Amino acid sequence: MTTTEANTRPARTRQPKVDILETEAGLRLWADLPGVDERSVEVELVDGVLAIRGRVALEDYENLAPLHTECDVGNFDARFRLSSAIDGAGIRATLRNGVLELDLPKVESAKPRRIEIG
Amino acid sequence: MASFTFSRELDPLNALFRLHKEWEQPAVNVFRSGDELVIRVEVPGFAPEDLSIESRGQTLSISGKRSEEPAAQGAYHRRERFAGEFSRSLQLSRDVDPSLALASCKHGVLTLRVPARAEAKPRQIAVSAS
Repeated sequence: MTTTEANTRPARTRQPKVDILETEAGLRLWADLPGVDERSVEVELVDGVLAIRGRVALEDYENLAPLHTECDVGNFDARFRLSSAIDGAGIRATLRNGVLELDLPKVESAKPRRIEIG
Repeated sequence: MASFTFSRELDPLNALFRLHKEWEQPAVNVFRSGDELVIRVEVPGFAPEDLSIESRGQTLSISGKRSEEPAAQGAYHRRERFAGEFSRSLQLSRDVDPSLALASCKHGVLTLRVPARAEAKPRQIAVSAS
């Protein structure tokens, strides 16, 4: 199973909404990062913990007086302990319309293997 | 031994979850900047062509439709993101003109700027000497 790591950070951050799909080949993760562009996102995999950070252009909110607020605006920060051994070199990331898509291939030894009965 | 599993349609917990999903709407923040209103809607995953904005009187309606093909194989560990359709209507105060709203969408954030009505803008009235 995938669990979320608790973390404490000084800045006000938000937890993005994510979808995580596991297939035989690996994990696929989508994270909603509205307001984040490709230069402001960081993805890191260290010791089986995947960290996603996205910075929002807070200057876009300067000189705006809030009248009605349904969500906080802030940087995104999420950590996931991955269930399978992932091939770090094979990770591919794309960001489109504020959605980060990660392709996390499993290392060969973590892929399910069918064993023939002879 | 016989085993029984709920189908997805019959599972009451899943039905409740789906209902919750259907009620889900993108978050809207409204700001004032000088004499215009700035409305920001978080629509991650929606391209500008997936969104439609309409003004009628003082009402501004924002709707969006996004189809996401379900995964052909595999199992979801988490499913938190919004997918599908939404529609929101905002009733704006009389001092702004929704028919003159300008919309832009960048990195999954829709921004609408609604200018003040000409008659609502402060005007300097010259005082004559006589």
